Amino acid sequence: MINLPLQIDTISEGYIILATGLFIVFSSLILLTVFFKLGVPALLNAYKALKGLGKKEEKKETSVVIKSEKDFTGETAAAIATALHMYLNEQHDNENAVLTIKQARKLYSPWSSKIYGTHQKL
Amino acid sequence: MKKVLIIFGVLSLLIFIRPVLGLNTTTKDTNSQGIEQLENVENESFVSEAFEGIKQFYNYTGFANVTGGHLVMIIIGIVFIYLGIKFDYEPLLLIPIGAGVIIGNIPFVAGNMTGIYESGSVLNFLYFGVVKGIYPPLIFLGIGAMTDFSSLIANPKLMLLGAAAQIGVFATFMGALYLGFKLPEAGAIGIIGGADGPTAIFLSSKLANGVNILADGTTVKNLIGPIAIAAYSYMALVPVIQPPIMRLLISKKDRKIRMKPPRAVSQKEKMIFPVAALILTTFISPSSLPLLGMLFFGNLLKESGRTERLADTARTKMIDIVTILLGVTVGASTQADIFITSDSLLIFGLGALSFVIATMGGLFFAKLMNLFLKGDNKINPLIGAAGVSAVPDSARVVHAEALKSDPHNYLLMHAMAPNVAGVIGSAIAAGILLSFLS
Repeated sequence: MINLPLQIDTISEGYIILATGLFIVFSSLILLTVFFKLGVPALLNAYKALKGLGKKEEKKETSVVIKSEKDFTGETAAAIATALHMYLNEQHDNENAVLTIKQARKLYSPWSSKIYGTHQKL
Repeated sequence: MKKVLIIFGVLSLLIFIRPVLGLNTTTKDTNSQGIEQLENVENESFVSEAFEGIKQFYNYTGFANVTGGHLVMIIIGIVFIYLGIKFDYEPLLLIPIGAGVIIGNIPFVAGNMTGIYESGSVLNFLYFGVVKGIYPPLIFLGIGAMTDFSSLIANPKLMLLGAAAQIGVFATFMGALYLGFKLPEAGAIGIIGGADGPTAIFLSSKLANGVNILADGTTVKNLIGPIAIAAYSYMALVPVIQPPIMRLLISKKDRKIRMKPPRAVSQKEKMIFPVAALILTTFISPSSLPLLGMLFFGNLLKESGRTERLADTARTKMIDIVTILLGVTVGASTQADIFITSDSLLIFGLGALSFVIATMGGLFFAKLMNLFLKGDNKINPLIGAAGVSAVPDSARVVHAEALKSDPHNYLLMHAMAPNVAGVIGSAIAAGILLSFLS
């Protein structure tokens, strides 16, 4: 712990907290930034390199995939996804608008007919 | 024939009844006085007792105990509900809180385990989750399971905008100190600038909960209610507060800057993000572990691809349940006698100020970053305003504001990056304040 003088007024303590707090917030987010800017790509490359060690032929293929990925932006993905979504889920809208009403005909059946119960003689 | 029978029957009945009535009249004479007196006494005592009972009942009703403060707060509750329904300002929060404000301000006689501040009452048990800071981490779990960090992973430098907007937290903290609040109270008020309801409730429940005893022997004030209400109401008012500041600080030319679309982010990166960010941020600020731990855990559930069921529950049913409980109990904690103080007014003033400062901090820092960026990489300074978390409202406001100056400039995805970084930033700031002040 830092040894602060005993009678320190709250305002100056506030400024200490202000400065250190802002410093810590910035430093932690800068750390995150740096990690994701440099650390993660390095990690992923190392992973790929490790994976590629065993299979040298496949290494070429993966590099090709990365090149094509560069042009594959979110917009393209969104367009493809929208097209798929429309195709799969909104086909219903293109249905034939002509309605055909089939007549559901009730065939006569005597199984519960009342008339058979009324004329029975005991 | 039937008619004759009926008439005969009725007549015979009348004849039989007659002696019964006659007997009554004769017996009455003997001890009528006693009975009458007794009846009188009984009547009197019955009437007076009933009257007393009604009087007592009336004393227990809200009509007898109502004060001006209750009425004011009930009207505020109704206004909240009205705003939520009519203008669609965060209805999921304002309507539970508004209903809670009405529930908490129904006047009652203390001592019957009704009020939220009486230990043992049902509302008090539900309020326990607020006082002990249980609800906010659960909400963060749901938020983590909802949030897509890919725009942040694609463009990590936008993370700094989330840090810049935390200037609002610390500036408000200083402002509260100058207005005479104690250090822990000022810390809790400052976090309103983080524009994050759960974080504000979490920190105020730890610092300004009315239980902690300060170094000079006084008990800290209970500011959870005012702080939570201020944080949530200003979050709902982001579409009103932010645009004028944006227009004031950012030139028309800058508002038209188009940003290149973010690169596609692989699933591996998305999976690494929650784990790495959890470890890095909580190593720096361990006090924010309850919030950040749950946030990144929720995100891991979402991105791992194997726990879709858990993520689905976390982001739908669970967060709904907790939001309901949190909203109602925070609303109910605004009992007039505790809520209507000059402190609450000051907190509301400081809250508005903190949102303004946070927005300005984000905008200025975005401008500053633009000085170092060149050509295609320049960022639209408007997205700095999304650094105050208030997910996803401030990002939407940025998007709408950019569309006003250029109808084909879609900034939503870019604005989401500082937006979620703001959540992380305010949680870290809360952790720092907590470790300094508790």
